[in-house]
Amino acid sequence: MEQLKITIALIIAILLQLTLRNVAEPLTYIDFPLIIVVYAALQRNSIKALLFATIAGIAVDAMSGGLLGSNAFSKTLVAFVVSEIARRVYLDNLLLRIPVIAGACLLDDLIYYGMHRLLGQDPLGSLFITMAYTLVGTTIAGTFIYLFLDSFSSETLKRRKRDFFAPRRETRRRNPIRLGRKP
Amino acid sequence: MTPWLLLVLLLGNFILMAYDARADDEQRVIRVWTLAAANFVQSPITYAGSAVNNFFVYLANLRSAETENEKLQKKIQELEVEVQENKELAVENKRLKSLLDLKQKSEYKILTAQIIGRDPSAWFNAAVINRGSIDGVKLNMPIVVDGGLVGRVTAVSPLNSQINLITADKAGLGAIIGELGSSNALGVVRGKGEKGRLEMDYVPGYVPVAKGDIVYTTGQGGVYPPGLKLGEIEEVRTGSATMPHQIFIRQTARISSMQEVAILLYTPPPRPKYEKALPNAVKKEEMANSNTDSED
Repeated sequence: MEQLKITIALIIAILLQLTLRNVAEPLTYIDFPLIIVVYAALQRNSIKALLFATIAGIAVDAMSGGLLGSNAFSKTLVAFVVSEIARRVYLDNLLLRIPVIAGACLLDDLIYYGMHRLLGQDPLGSLFITMAYTLVGTTIAGTFIYLFLDSFSSETLKRRKRDFFAPRRETRRRNPIRLGRKP
Repeated sequence: MTPWLLLVLLLGNFILMAYDARADDEQRVIRVWTLAAANFVQSPITYAGSAVNNFFVYLANLRSAETENEKLQKKIQELEVEVQENKELAVENKRLKSLLDLKQKSEYKILTAQIIGRDPSAWFNAAVINRGSIDGVKLNMPIVVDGGLVGRVTAVSPLNSQINLITADKAGLGAIIGELGSSNALGVVRGKGEKGRLEMDYVPGYVPVAKGDIVYTTGQGGVYPPGLKLGEIEEVRTGSATMPHQIFIRQTARISSMQEVAILLYTPPPRPKYEKALPNAVKKEEMANSNTDSED
């Protein structure tokens, strides 16, 4: 179920990315595929996140004036970094995910811009202005999208939290040593 | 497993990027396939979006319709008088034209197209139009709007095409300041990586150039036809007898706010074979010809 949800979300994200700029120019600063790729990476399944990142990146690159594979390259790298962090740190809280999506957005933009410069291409506009707008747009949109996606899997989240904290409580209850008492 | 997959994917993407960065005139198959697939989504969304937009515009216009109606009634009376005068002028004009044997000619055929998609990345400004190879669109055909040249076709699928702007870095074209034939301020115009701004190089420093001068294409380079307007000179860093001018041009045609463009159905004249080959290849060809002549 979770797999299907993220796959559908990714397809919708790609379609939105390809069409929304024609509806309103500022919507170009929201990177929908990146939001879903980071969400997939936060599920601690690195392989799925990497594959999603590459597919989404190439789909966007094919319709863009930039180099083919540049979005795929940056998003794949971001997906790996996020999934590795998510494996080591508890990031199921929405508040903790906000800096993650913001950091992922900055890293993605830097890699994308850097790869173009490396291969002799000059992206339009100022690096800092475009990065700032993308950071704000993607972080705000990402927060709401994560809330929306999580609402579909609250049961999974509750079960995960229960599993995460249960062994510690159990150990405390069974510990025969009590403070202030002699064994 | 994961690090290996990461390496393979990164390497694959890097190879794809390096291949795409090559400066050749071919289109990439992946782009063509994606364009064709995306057409089924982009076209309906664009039409639905414009329908919704038109509906709200219609509602907004209704409010001012009554007062506008009164104004228009008065205007009609005035215009009727003008129409009578114009009819007389048109008859006179026709008679004079026939006397002078003037013929109105359109130099290139034009195909209008609607922009159905824009670049999904904030870093670039390409666009997708609703005309493809079925309509006769070919790779590298120039795209114009009423302000002048804006770009060229970079990928063609059967139903739609991708266009890229001349402000993109890859583009570079021969240009002239002033009318072709009356000026010798020739140079090369290329994108600056800035929206609506171009840079012109190699214009000799001794040629007088002023702010506000109009820049046109020369037709050199074999992609764009001569005489298309590129823009106005915005800034000149004056050169000397040995140093060329550094000229910045403000593009008069803007694509960001446009919904429709025109494709010039222009096919450049074929280049001679030796232009594409190395200098020694020309010699080989000449030698081969001379050998066949001697054998005969």
